[in-house]
Amino acid sequence: MSTTDSKSSELLATACRRWFEDLSDRGIFTTDASLVIRTWNPWLEAQTGVAARTALGQSLFELWPTLRERGLDHYYHDALAGGVCVLSERLHKFLIPISRGASVFGMPEMAQSARIAPLSVDDTIVGTITVIEDVTERVINERELRSQIAASERARTIAEDASKLKDEFLATLSHEIRTPLNAVLGWVRILRTQKETKSRDHGLEVIERNATAQLKLVEDLLDMARVISGKLRLDVRPAAIEGLVMAAIDVIEPSAAAKKIPIKIQVEPDLPPINADVDRLQQAIWNVMSNAVKFTQAGGRIDVRIAKTDDGVELTVADTGEGIEREFLPYVFDRFRQADASASRRHGGLGLGLALVRQIVELHGGTVALDSGGKNRGTTFSLCLPASSVPLGPTRVMPSRAATVTLKGVTVLLVDDASDGREMLATGLRGFGATVEAVASADEALHTLEERRFIPDVLVSDIGMPGTDGYELIRQVRDCSEFGARDLPAIAVTAYANPEDRIRSLEAGYQLHLAKPVDAAAVAAAIASLVTV
Amino acid sequence: MMKLTAVQEDALIELLNIGFGRAAASLSQLTGHRVLLEVPHVTIHPVEQVSESLEKFITTDVASVHQIFSGSVAGDALLILDQGGASILKELLTNEPALPLTIDASAREVITEVGNILLNACLGTFGNLLNVQVTFSVPQLSLENLGAILESLRVNRQGVQYALVVHAGFKLRDAEVRGYLVIVLSVASLDRLIRAVEEWEHHTR
Repeated sequence: MSTTDSKSSELLATACRRWFEDLSDRGIFTTDASLVIRTWNPWLEAQTGVAARTALGQSLFELWPTLRERGLDHYYHDALAGGVCVLSERLHKFLIPISRGASVFGMPEMAQSARIAPLSVDDTIVGTITVIEDVTERVINERELRSQIAASERARTIAEDASKLKDEFLATLSHEIRTPLNAVLGWVRILRTQKETKSRDHGLEVIERNATAQLKLVEDLLDMARVISGKLRLDVRPAAIEGLVMAAIDVIEPSAAAKKIPIKIQVEPDLPPINADVDRLQQAIWNVMSNAVKFTQAGGRIDVRIAKTDDGVELTVADTGEGIEREFLPYVFDRFRQADASASRRHGGLGLGLALVRQIVELHGGTVALDSGGKNRGTTFSLCLPASSVPLGPTRVMPSRAATVTLKGVTVLLVDDASDGREMLATGLRGFGATVEAVASADEALHTLEERRFIPDVLVSDIGMPGTDGYELIRQVRDCSEFGARDLPAIAVTAYANPEDRIRSLEAGYQLHLAKPVDAAAVAAAIASLVTV
Repeated sequence: MMKLTAVQEDALIELLNIGFGRAAASLSQLTGHRVLLEVPHVTIHPVEQVSESLEKFITTDVASVHQIFSGSVAGDALLILDQGGASILKELLTNEPALPLTIDASAREVITEVGNILLNACLGTFGNLLNVQVTFSVPQLSLENLGAILESLRVNRQGVQYALVVHAGFKLRDAEVRGYLVIVLSVASLDRLIRAVEEWEHHTR
């Protein structure tokens, strides 16, 4: 080798070393074959705080004793034997402990990945080289990404669960709606074809019971729809809880008696009044009680207890029924959830009852809880409500109707496009002594008023009708003085049963709004309240 | 095609298991989980037939760790895992879910380290046997398809190349991940290796 050659390769080696040393984004150091540090780049100086002049000439394991303590020294011995080592961040966290600045990311040390390799000249190994990379940022990004993926995975599972639940609910709903319809249609056909059948009364009873059951179902559904859309409004006034509970017990007592389930009631004296929408809360309590009866076998027992709490009252309903599996307990108040949603389930229902109970009670500022010792260990339901600061007013007296109402001499113009409903009401009202003119559309009604000059004492009209609807009808009646019917008392009878619908009817010009289904007695009572008989 | 005799194959498997035992011990110590590595099967193929033979076992994209080794025995060594298997291996070793390997640099690094440990242990055993020092290049991980990887090995070397294909099974935490070690050697190197293996077998019996 010539002098010029050796000179130029020396220069090259120096340039090479400088380039290594200047690599600013990673740590590079070399050792000789006795593992004494021979190069130490500026990145390492900056990150470890150990200056090159301190590091150079020192034994690697003396400068960084943790390498030996953590068993990493064998990598250097492997390198001196020709092996290359990869130290991944995941399995080693770091090579050289660098704690500065890294704790902000919740990691005590800078996350590092490293490579350790032999340095050889010809076939002789003369030392080792170590390259350290700061992967803190990468680790954080991956952690973030992983948690995002996990979160979206969770969201997907929740969405899938919800959609499955809705499917199950729809299946249940269709089943629950068909079942009573089946009985109703079946009996109607029997009654039609076998006119003289002896079981006529029984058939009518079945029809009535099933129609009532379906009404309850539809009411639950509508209530749930209102709750979901945030439209359930409470009409709250001070009330005595014991009254509500007694009323609910009155309703379910017959079915409990039929199953020979005694209901034991224990009421603490001097209970404070509560703020309640009496109808809603009664419905909630009724739901709880009827669940207790439904899930308790004949011969069981139901204990109802009302007690004072620090800030209100607590109602507990404990039954000896089939109980609830512990795994299902967290879901009992979820809507559409049923412990047994299978087709072979023994109990009917939509799975909305307890969900509604919770919503209603929470709207009252109260809480509900349910506990069970497990399968066949009974269920204890408790409901807490805050006390009202307002004392009880005079007891509301419901005007008793049916018995005393008479519509003798009252003329009624009845408008309804649905012939069955129209006929039922017409027949019913005639039964109260009224003279009823029944028509099938708003146009016919206007014709009756305008052309035939038939001005009744009261107008009873449906709202949803093809062509001119009930709103338009009352507007025309009120606007047109010709009829001499501007002040005609008018009652809307409609299946639009929301509070907003009531307001809309009243704004359009009706004095009263009755929600369907409604019986003739209720309409008669309403007429009586508007017309001086 | 070169075919191993039953004796040669048994001896090779035994030797490889010694190397794998060492690698398994390192991995167990590193991860804190008991890791077992087994060599159930060894075959030898001309390098151009390797891809065909492995395609029976690996149909998806692969993750491969490649190291060049040099010394008096020289060639290429690869650990080949299918990408799903690589992710599972990483999860088992780190107790942390893997992301797709293309975006999970940490997982790629873990697989590189595992490949490095395994290849070093395996070739180290051969080096000891032949009494030669083997030096390694820095391992490279790639996520190409199998054919492309093997093709690149073929064009980089001259002369007839043979590949020792080692079927390997990682067992840890009641799970098993299959992988393949491919060691590509020249005819002469392979010949030396097989003769040394036979001699060793002869000595130990």
